Amino acid sequence: MSATQIAGRVAGVDAGAPIRQSSLWQDAWRRYLRNRGAVAAGILFLLIVVWCIVVPIVSPHDPNRIEFPDAYQGPSWSHPFGTDQFGRDLFTRAALGGRISIGIGFGATLAILLIGVAYGAISGFVGGKLDNALMRFLDALYGLPYLPFAILALAIIGTVNFWTMVVALSVASWFITARVVRGQIMTLKENDYVRAAYAVGVRWYMILGRHLLPNTLGVLVITIFLELPGVILGEAFLSFLGLGINPPDASWGSMAQDGRDAYRAHPHIIIIPSLAIATLVLCANFIADGLRDALDPRTKET
Amino acid sequence: MTEPLLSVTDLKVHFPIRRGLLLDRTVDHVKAVDGVSFEIPEGQTLGLVGESGSGKSTTAYATLQLVRPTHGSVRFAGRELTTLRREELRRVRRDIQIVFQDPYASLNPRMTVGRIVGEPLQTHSVGSRRSRRAAVADLLELVGFDPSYTNRYPHEFSGGQRQRIGIARALALNPKLIVCDEPVSALDVSIQAQILNLLKDLQRDLGLTYLFIAHDLAVVRGMSDTIAVMHDGKIVEQGPADAVYTSPQSDYTRALLAAVPVPDPERMRARKAERLRLRPALSQA
Repeated sequence: MSATQIAGRVAGVDAGAPIRQSSLWQDAWRRYLRNRGAVAAGILFLLIVVWCIVVPIVSPHDPNRIEFPDAYQGPSWSHPFGTDQFGRDLFTRAALGGRISIGIGFGATLAILLIGVAYGAISGFVGGKLDNALMRFLDALYGLPYLPFAILALAIIGTVNFWTMVVALSVASWFITARVVRGQIMTLKENDYVRAAYAVGVRWYMILGRHLLPNTLGVLVITIFLELPGVILGEAFLSFLGLGINPPDASWGSMAQDGRDAYRAHPHIIIIPSLAIATLVLCANFIADGLRDALDPRTKET
Repeated sequence: MTEPLLSVTDLKVHFPIRRGLLLDRTVDHVKAVDGVSFEIPEGQTLGLVGESGSGKSTTAYATLQLVRPTHGSVRFAGRELTTLRREELRRVRRDIQIVFQDPYASLNPRMTVGRIVGEPLQTHSVGSRRSRRAAVADLLELVGFDPSYTNRYPHEFSGGQRQRIGIARALALNPKLIVCDEPVSALDVSIQAQILNLLKDLQRDLGLTYLFIAHDLAVVRGMSDTIAVMHDGKIVEQGPADAVYTSPQSDYTRALLAAVPVPDPERMRARKAERLRLRPALSQA
């Protein structure tokens, strides 16, 4: 007789209704909203992103047109952030630079996640000798300083544009993510529900894809906002040194470089992109902090 | 005489202790299970008792081939499991399932109850998608749930309710043998009885065979036909449930029984004297 045929015949006590009703993400969202600093940072972050997307489209000024009569203007109604040494409107140009800075930031962060998750998941899941080998290799890479490594990567690639910047920055900074994911997988692997899946006969790739990786999601979301500031700063630094984004394109780093020559007489040219970088990085850190508190498994059951 | 459903012979599980940074070498072994033998006839329950660290759970995992045994044989329904290849083993797994101790760790928090209970069916491609959904509803009903809870997540349920979900998952493939690895020791006493009764009812109605592991002697006595007492990776005593309780043969079993508290100060005093007398049996490794 099959289990299903005799359903209802067993005189088991009624198990009762669920004791609560809410999803994990809803709970996390509610905890996040309770953190005022994180909410403010989130809103500011979104505003900056919207500004970068919208302003270049609606602005009356061409951010790349050179108008020497308008050069070195301070903030005014028609130029809220003033103009630079070529008379370009900084309000529009900073938004355009933000597109590239934030774009590279998210692009590289995504690449970091992809490499880190793949490397970390294999290492943690397979374990044993392979894990040992992969981790020792990571230790070796760990010793290399971040920015020189990125510069080296750019030099090897040969050309500098948006995508090569993404590659160079992500190649130089996926190590922490890989290690975090490996640790997560190793911990999750010991859970009874993974053992239960093996006992049922679930194949290894389904165990990885269904039972292990989805449970690292919370950590990955946090990782996005932890890695973002580093990558954005790295891009800004490279562009400031002239190793990154080249004129006439602008990123916040290369704009700060533009302002360096006249920083005594016209400090706004260097201050505006620097402030933008600082604000964005600060917001990302606050968001990461809020997410960590919201997604922390230790607060999950409260 | 017919062959027992499960017979484990001279089972050993040794974990190597490795030393060294780059080139690690094995310096010693932890003998978690060291020569365990037992048999369970179909439809019966073997209770495996012992203190923490005595190797009960490792014996369970080795029986299921979740940990590959170092030595020994595990015969299930006439087949030797220890030498089976992965694909053959997958097929045999349909007939052997496990219920875990901690209901909070044994259900994937990102999967709905329906997907958890349906996963064994899906894994072995049993029936169509629709028939699987119907089977999941039946299974939930079988363990006392309203089938409408399929889309809920584990954290919405209490410990006892989760344990029922775990039992439903174990039943999904209609197995012959279920290994219960301390299925009630993480639950409230009032809930324990419910789960134990459910397991008994299921055994009666489905003809299940149990390997029932616990450290609570009272729980095991009520469930089991035969009892095996484990200590330090070895079985120190094995016999019919009542015999083990009324006339224990080994000092270790006597010490274990003497450690069970009784709600009577007079008898507790007598017990204490017994415990002091047996202390050497407990401490010898």
